[in-house]
Amino acid sequence: MAAVATCGSGAGSTGSAVATASKSNVTSFQRKGPRASGTNDSGPRLVSIAGTRPSVRNGQLLVSTGLPALDQLLGGGLAIGTVLLIEEDKYNIYSPLLFKCFLAEGIVNGHSLLVASAKEDPANILQDLPAPLLDDNSKKEFDEDVYNHKTPESNIKMKIAWRYQLLPKMEIGPVSSRFGHYYDASKRIPQELIEASNWHGFFLPEKISSTLKVEPCSLTPGYIKLLQFIQNIIYEEGFDGSNPQKKQRNVLRIGIQNLGSPLWGDDICCVENGSNSHSLTKFLYVLRGLLRTSLSACIITMPTHLIQNKAIIARVTNLSDIVIGLESFIGSERETNPLYKDYHGLIHIRQIPRLNNLICDESDVKDLAFKLKRKLFTIERLHLPPDLSDTVSRSSKQDLAGSTKRLGPGCGMMAGGKKHLDF
Amino acid sequence: MLDSLLSLGGLVLLRDSVEWEGRSLLKALVKKSALCGEQVHILGCEVSEEEFREGFDSDINNRLVYHDFFRDPLNWSKTEEALPGGPLGALRAICKRTDPGPVTIALDSLSWLLLHLPCTTVCQALHAVSHQDSCPGDSSPAGKVSVLGLLHEELHGPGPVGALSSLAQTEVTLGGTKGQASAHILCRRPRQRPTDQTQWFSILPDFSLDLQEGPSVESQPCSDPHIPPVDPTTHLTFNLQLSKKEREARDSLILPFQFSSEKQQALLRPRPGQATSHIFYEPDAYDDLDQEDPDDDLDI
Repeated sequence: MAAVATCGSGAGSTGSAVATASKSNVTSFQRKGPRASGTNDSGPRLVSIAGTRPSVRNGQLLVSTGLPALDQLLGGGLAIGTVLLIEEDKYNIYSPLLFKCFLAEGIVNGHSLLVASAKEDPANILQDLPAPLLDDNSKKEFDEDVYNHKTPESNIKMKIAWRYQLLPKMEIGPVSSRFGHYYDASKRIPQELIEASNWHGFFLPEKISSTLKVEPCSLTPGYIKLLQFIQNIIYEEGFDGSNPQKKQRNVLRIGIQNLGSPLWGDDICCVENGSNSHSLTKFLYVLRGLLRTSLSACIITMPTHLIQNKAIIARVTNLSDIVIGLESFIGSERETNPLYKDYHGLIHIRQIPRLNNLICDESDVKDLAFKLKRKLFTIERLHLPPDLSDTVSRSSKQDLAGSTKRLGPGCGMMAGGKKHLDF
Repeated sequence: MLDSLLSLGGLVLLRDSVEWEGRSLLKALVKKSALCGEQVHILGCEVSEEEFREGFDSDINNRLVYHDFFRDPLNWSKTEEALPGGPLGALRAICKRTDPGPVTIALDSLSWLLLHLPCTTVCQALHAVSHQDSCPGDSSPAGKVSVLGLLHEELHGPGPVGALSSLAQTEVTLGGTKGQASAHILCRRPRQRPTDQTQWFSILPDFSLDLQEGPSVESQPCSDPHIPPVDPTTHLTFNLQLSKKEREARDSLILPFQFSSEKQQALLRPRPGQATSHIFYEPDAYDDLDQEDPDDDLDI
């Protein structure tokens, strides 16, 4: 394993050495062509599509997910040809926001959109997209939010380690105006941007008649229709290279909402061992095949908390490329826990793909929390205080004494008492 | 809030159990919406029509439109008045021919529908019915459709119940203590946090709703009186608590490696272009600051 890792890093360094050498024109090494993704046609032409950039780690072409913090966690963005699966939170409040940021990013960059839903009309979904923050305002507002968040508490906590106040809560890479935008969740996207964009909608109740008979051991009719629709769009608009695109090449962003819910005709949320329990996994398999052969990226939200058979969740995770789970604190006992009082929920990054690579690109931060402020949706590292055992001294932390009661029976007796020990 | 359940529209799920039955609450809500002048349709599948109409006075009975699926659920008698498509066909037919005006549809019961029809079909039909007014974009109260579904929780596993509650706009779970019934109301509005509330109520014999305060709260059970709590800090030779004066003195102590507060603030103010921390290094006498590579003069 270690030998492989050094081999990989060695290849990376020679690649960069070649790049710098060719820039200074000293050596005879010439770069053959740009390191574009495999889905573009090969050749020395530099393919530049608006809103994409090549990954610095594995050479895949990336698009932004609409949240720069999420892009940072996924290693730069969502690779073209892959599926991003979002496991919805229990009351479905925050996952539509991620879904809409992805679509809004597509509109702002001029990509084509394909929106599929069984619950809401895609035209209504598009009316609801958040408005992008322009470049000069966004950095100012974002910095204001971050700075306001830091100063009130830092004066209380950091008396000895005060130099750590300068460390940012989350590394945010540079956000250029062409990749990754911030969105204002309280405003709607301007109507002219929607009209200028090229979008296709798939609303299941319109496409399917209610008296269709379901054949056993095949895909649910809703899924069949959706796959045919996606395939038609990809073929007709030339995202897979079959019809050569006369205009500038473009990326298709596909968004599928609430996949697997009973409204799609799939019974995995209702029964544990239904007759069509392989329908969803077959759908994902065919969808990934369509995506890998075209210039498209897909986001899917799925209510996995309703799926009765846990084996299906494991199969769905294996069949997707990136899996992110959202867990909101509403309605659970964590809502009143003072440890989580600043945040609205936790984000779990369950899977990151290894695309043409032996190692995957995970960030070192594993415990992440999100919060939806008035305008922005931010993802931050969850700063938990260290273990509250009975020998630790804190000043005037009466509220933490209350929270230690919630820490389960494994803690010592003293931690559960009301009196707190001060040294 | 129990009396304004129907004003929100959409699917209202009434979850009852064997101890706390929900049909009387269903009939109370039906009576209330009939008195408000809305059109009321009843899909009766579980009890007979006479039993459902029992307890209502005649003018309410005249306003209810009753679709009977109890007497002949599989349509064996093949009369013309049987509606095609079963209960779901009747549901869709109600929505198609609705005159402008709010409509309330009471399903008695959803459990019967779930046991006779596939769950996905029921979910799709309920979604189509309860969302048909949101197509034009503006939700005028004229075409508002409310669907009241009675669901017996104990008959179904967690799957169908979870699927239906994710579709429902309002969920009322019946419970109670000691003869007093309570309704736990969970209201999901789109894109907003769900709100929940517990309301104690009782149903009067003429099926009108009587909202009540909860039962008196009992005194908290005191801790086990046999074992008095032992306080281990009573006979110590050292001090474990800080008095207020001592705490203030500790807070005002200047730590050895800490700058004064002005210099600390000056360093902390984020200078333009710097977001990271710095290392300040002063080279001492033994450091060689020559930038050249010492291996350059090797002759290899």
